[in-house]
Amino acid sequence: MHTLKGTKYAIFFGLLPALIIYLGIAVVPIGMSAYYSFMNWDGIHPMTFTGFDNFTEIFKDSIFWLSVKNNMIILLTGVLGQIPLGLLLALLLNRSMKGAGFFRTIGFLPVVISSVMVSLIFGTVYNTEYGLLNSILGSVGLDSWQQNWLGDTKWSMFSISVAYIWQNCGFFMVIFLAALQNIPNEVNEAAELDGASGLNKVMRITIPMIRGTILIAVVFSISNSFRVFDLIQIMTGGGPAHATEVMTVYMYNNAFVNMRFGYGSAVSVLILIFSLIVVTIVNRLGKEKA
Amino acid sequence: MEKKSGLFRTLVYAFLSMFAIINIFPIFWMIVNSFKTEQEYSGNPFSFPKVLQFSNYSKAWEVANMNTYFVNSIIITFASLIVTVLLGALAAYFLSRFEFKLRGFTYGLFLLGMLVPIHATLIPIFMIMKNINLLDTYLSLILPYTAFHLSLTIFILEGFMRGFPRDLEESGVMDGAGVFRIFWSIILPITRPALATVIILNFIYNWNEFLFALVLISSSALKTLPLGLANFVGVETASLTLQMAALTIALVPILIFYLLLQKQLVNGMTAGSVKG
Repeated sequence: MHTLKGTKYAIFFGLLPALIIYLGIAVVPIGMSAYYSFMNWDGIHPMTFTGFDNFTEIFKDSIFWLSVKNNMIILLTGVLGQIPLGLLLALLLNRSMKGAGFFRTIGFLPVVISSVMVSLIFGTVYNTEYGLLNSILGSVGLDSWQQNWLGDTKWSMFSISVAYIWQNCGFFMVIFLAALQNIPNEVNEAAELDGASGLNKVMRITIPMIRGTILIAVVFSISNSFRVFDLIQIMTGGGPAHATEVMTVYMYNNAFVNMRFGYGSAVSVLILIFSLIVVTIVNRLGKEKA
Repeated sequence: MEKKSGLFRTLVYAFLSMFAIINIFPIFWMIVNSFKTEQEYSGNPFSFPKVLQFSNYSKAWEVANMNTYFVNSIIITFASLIVTVLLGALAAYFLSRFEFKLRGFTYGLFLLGMLVPIHATLIPIFMIMKNINLLDTYLSLILPYTAFHLSLTIFILEGFMRGFPRDLEESGVMDGAGVFRIFWSIILPITRPALATVIILNFIYNWNEFLFALVLISSSALKTLPLGLANFVGVETASLTLQMAALTIALVPILIFYLLLQKQLVNGMTAGSVKG
C-alpha cells in the first residue's frame, strides 16, 4: 500500500514471532497427532510403529462406542435443546417490552462464567443428600422423585444435558436476537399488510429471514458438542461406569491416565474426522434446502 | 403481533421470568448457603442464615489456597493477554497495511486457527512442553493460550486496521519514521476500540481455561483458579458450605467484570465465536 525502504525485512520480522508461536503450538501439533496415532507409545520409552492397530482396537472397544453415543446425545441436546430454546427466547425478547435488557443480561450470564464454575455449581444442585434439586422436590412432597442425579446411570446423562443447555442457551439467544434485529422493518410491515400475524408470521416470515444465522448456529453447536470436556470431567469424570463418558474424556483417560499416548492421539484424530463429517453434512443439507 | 392480548403478554412474562429464575436461582441459593453453618444448611437448605458466617470465607480462602490460585491466574491471564495482543496487533498491522506476496496466504493460515479444536493438539503440546522442559511452568500455559487466541485477535484487529484511510501513515513517512515507529505511535493508538474488545475476550478465555491447565500443570503452587477450584471441590467433599464459599469467591470478580463490560463481552463473544 505504501512503499518504504526495507519494508520486506520489517514485514518478515513483524510477522515472525506470531507465526512461530502459532504454527509451533496450534498447527504443527495436529500433524504430530496424526503421526502419533500410528504408534504404540507410553511417552517414556521409544515409540513403535503399529500401523492401524490403535484404530482397530478403538473400534472394538465398547466404551468408545458408548462415548460416541454420549457425544450424539450432547449433539442433539445442543441442536434440539439449546437452539430452539435460544430462538424462542430471542423471539419473545425481540419487541419493545419492559425488562428485555434484564432478561438478556441474566440469560448470557452462564456463558461468561467458566464451565468449571458451571459444573461445580451444578454439582451442588445435583448433590444427592443436600442438593438444590432434591431439596426442592422434598419440600413439595415429591420425595419419590428424588434421584441420585449424577450417580445413577439412568439419570446422569440427562442431568448433564440439562446443565449443558443451561450453560449455552443464552449464547444462542443473543445470536438470534442480533439476527432478528437485522430484519428490515419493511419486511415486518409488508407481512402485516398481507395479514400475517402471530405464529403464522414467525414461521413463514421471521424464521426464513434468519435461516443463515440458524444454520451457522447449528454448525457452531455441533462443533461445540464434540469439544465438550470440562462439564463432564468435573461433574462425573465420565462415570458412573462410563455412562457419561464422551470422546474427549475417553481420549484424556487413555492418554493421561493410562499413559497410552499413541492410542489417545488416534482417538483425537477420530474426533476431528467425526466432527468434520457431521459439520460438512449439515452444511450441505443447509445449502441444498436454500 | 401488534395487538397483544393481555393474556399473551402475561404468558410471555411468566415464561421469561421462569427462565430468569432457573438461570439465577442456583447461584443465588449457593451464595445464601455459603453464609450458613454446616448444621444450618443440612437442617434447612432454603432458610436464610441466622448469622452471616464470614468465617466460611476466611476458611475457604485458606483451605482452598485461593490466594495462590488467584495470583497464578492473574499472572498467566495477563502475561498471555499482553503477548497475544502485542504480537497479534503487530501481525495485523503488517497484514492490513502492506501489500506483499504471501499476504493472503499468511492471513488465511492465521484464520484457520479458529477451527482447530484444542483437544486435537493436547497430546503433542504436552510432549513439546515435556521435551523443552517447560512442563509445569507458567510458560507452558502462556504459550498455548497465546497460540490459540492469536487467530481471533488478528481477525478482529486486521479488520479494524484495514478500514483506516491510506494516507494515514503519510505524515509519519514524511517525518522519516520507520514502520515500527508508525505502528506504535500512529496505528496502535487509533486501534483502541478494537484493542479493548480483543483484550476483554482474551481475558475471559484465559481466565476460564481448564483443559490445558489440567494437563500441563501438576504442582499445587502453580494451579490456576479453575483447576485449583475443581481440585478443591473434589477433595473437600465434606463441607458443602465451604465449597460454596470458595465458589462464590471465584464468581464475584467475574460477575463484576460482566456487569461492567456487558456490552463488549456479549458482542465480542458472540461475533468472535460464530465467525470461528
